[in-house]
Amino acid sequence: MNSLSSQAARLVPKIKLPGRERRYALRRRQAIEAWLILTPVLLYYGLFAVVPVIANVGASFTRWNGITPPEWVGLENYVQLFKKPLYRQLFLNTAFFTAATMVIGIPLGLFAAILLNQKVRGMGIYRTLWYVPAVTSAAIMSQVTRLFISPYNGAINMILRALGQPEVIWTINPEAMRAVIIAFSVWRGSGSIWLGIPGVMILYLAALQGIPQELYEAAMVDGANAVARFRYITLPMLRHMTIFVVVTAIIGGFQMLEPVMLITEGGPFNQTNVIVNQIYNDALRNFNFGMATSSATLLAVLLMGASVVALRMMRQGE
Amino acid sequence: MLILRKLGKPLTHLLLIVGATVMIYPLVFSLAASFNSPREYADTTGFPIPSSYLENYRTLFQPMLLPRITGWVGVTLIRIVWFVILGTAVAVLCGYVFARLHFRGREVAFLVLLGSLLVPEIVFQVPLFVMMARWPLAGGNDILGQGGSGFVNRLPSLLLPGIVNAYFVFLMRQAFYSIPAEYEEAARMDGANTLQVLWHIYRPMLGPVIAVLAITTSVTYWNQYVWPRMVMEANQRMWPVALASQKMMDGSFPVPSTDPLVQPTRDIVNIPFALATGTVATLPPLFLFFFFQRYFIQGLIGIGIRE
Repeated sequence: MNSLSSQAARLVPKIKLPGRERRYALRRRQAIEAWLILTPVLLYYGLFAVVPVIANVGASFTRWNGITPPEWVGLENYVQLFKKPLYRQLFLNTAFFTAATMVIGIPLGLFAAILLNQKVRGMGIYRTLWYVPAVTSAAIMSQVTRLFISPYNGAINMILRALGQPEVIWTINPEAMRAVIIAFSVWRGSGSIWLGIPGVMILYLAALQGIPQELYEAAMVDGANAVARFRYITLPMLRHMTIFVVVTAIIGGFQMLEPVMLITEGGPFNQTNVIVNQIYNDALRNFNFGMATSSATLLAVLLMGASVVALRMMRQGE
Repeated sequence: MLILRKLGKPLTHLLLIVGATVMIYPLVFSLAASFNSPREYADTTGFPIPSSYLENYRTLFQPMLLPRITGWVGVTLIRIVWFVILGTAVAVLCGYVFARLHFRGREVAFLVLLGSLLVPEIVFQVPLFVMMARWPLAGGNDILGQGGSGFVNRLPSLLLPGIVNAYFVFLMRQAFYSIPAEYEEAARMDGANTLQVLWHIYRPMLGPVIAVLAITTSVTYWNQYVWPRMVMEANQRMWPVALASQKMMDGSFPVPSTDPLVQPTRDIVNIPFALATGTVATLPPLFLFFFFQRYFIQGLIGIGIRE
C-alpha cells in the first residue's frame, strides 16, 4: 500500500506536487521574495523615518542646543508651549489661516470643479490654466508675492495707482499681510496643494466625474429641476470627497510655511507667524531644539487626532 | 453641475476666462515685467507693458554666472534622476510585494510604512537635519558624529532622505490591484521568475502610473525649497534651483546687472530682474505639466477615487 502510493507519486511529474505541498512551496517562495525586497526598504525607512520621529519625541523632553549634550527637563517645554503667549498666538494664527483658506478656497474650488465639468469648447485649455498655480514652486511664488506687495512699485500698488488710490505700505499692516497669506494659500495652496483652489478643484472634478449620469437622467424623467438635481444628487454624492478635502486641507494648512517664511517672515511682531515657521526658526536660528521638537510633536498629535476623527466620519457615512 | 446650463454657455466661458486669468495673473505679470528696465517698471501703472529691454535675461545668463547656474541645475537634475529611479523602483517592488505576495506580517509592514503619511513633514526634518550634521565619519566628524559638520552643505544630505515614498508605494499597490492576476499566472506557468514577471508583464502595463510618479517626483524636486535651505544654505555651489532663484530674487545672492544704468546701490532689489529669475525657474515644471497633463490629472484623480 505504502510503496504503491510512493510509486504513484514518482510517476507524477515534479511540477504537479500534491495541493498542500505546492501551496506550501509557493507561500515559502513568496515570503522569501517579500522579505528580500522589504528588508532593505524597512531598514532605510527605520533610519530615515522611524528614528527621526522617536528622536523628535525624545528631544521634546530636553533642553538642547544641538551641540552640548541634551538636558532632561521633563514636560517643561510643553508647559512653555501653553504658557508662553507667543506659542498660543502661533497655534491661533495657524488655525486662523487654515480656517480662512478653507472657508474661501473649498467653495471656490467646488465652484471651479463644477465650471470645469461643463461641456464647452476649449475645456482642456481651461483645466490646464486653472491648475497652473499648483505646478509652481511655493518658495518662488512666495518671493514673487513679496515683490508684488513691495511698498514702492509692487503689482498691487500699481493697480491702486491706476485706480487713482493712494499706495499702501502693506508690510507694516497685519490685516493686509494676513489677507496676502490667505490669498496666496487660496491661489496655490501652502503646506500642501490640496488646500488651494487647484487642488480642491481637481479632487472635486474627480468626484464629479465619478457620479453616474443615469442618476441625473432618472431625476430628469421624474421632473427634478436643476436646483433639485444639484441639491439631491450632486451634493450627497460629493459628501465623501468633501470629508477628504476638509481633512487634507486641515493637514496641509497646519503645515503652512513658505508664504509666511518668505512673504512676511511672521511679521509684523509675529502677527502672521505660524507653527512650522517658528519650529524652523527655533531649530535652525535659535538652536532651541527642545521647543522646536515639542511644538512639532504637539502639531503631529493634533493632526493625527484630526485624521482619526475624519476617518471615523467617513466610515459612518458608508 | 447642471445649474449652469440654464445660465448659458457664454456665462460659463466668461467665468472660466476670469478664473483662468486670476490663476495665471502672477506668472503673466512676472513675464511681462521681466521685459522692463527698472525705470520703465517704476513708471508703470496697472500692468507692465513689455518692451524690447533684454538686460534682465542678459544679467541672468551673463558668462560670470554660468558656472553657478550650471551647478544649480546640475544638482537639481542629479536629485531628480536619483529620486525618480530609486523612488519608482522602491514603489514598484513594494507595491508588488503588498499587492501580490502572501506572507506573515504583510498588513503590519504596510501600515507601518503608511504611518509616515500621518506625520507632519517638519517632525522628520528637524531630527534629519541633526542626523545629517552628526553623520559619523563624514565631513570631519569622528565615529561618534562629533567635531565636524557631517553631510550638512554636502550633496548626500540632498540625496539620502526621501527615497522611500509611502504614498507612492500605496499608489503602486492600488495599480497592481487593478491588473488581473491571470497575466502573472500565465507567465508563471511558462516558468517566469518574479523579476521577469515584473519586467515583462507588469512594467508595460504600469507604464502610465510609473510616468505619473516620475513626473510628480520631477516637479516636486525642481520646486523643493525648505529641506535644501535647511542643509545647503551655506554652500552656494550646490543650491538646487528653487533655493538659488529665491536667493537671487530677495537680493541675498546679489547679481551685478549688465545694464550700466542700473546701479546696485540704488536698486537694492531689482524687481524686473527678480521677476525674470522667477519666471525662468518656474518654466521647466510648467512645460512638463503642459506636455504631460494627462499623467498629472490621472495621478491626481487616482488619489481622489482611492480614498
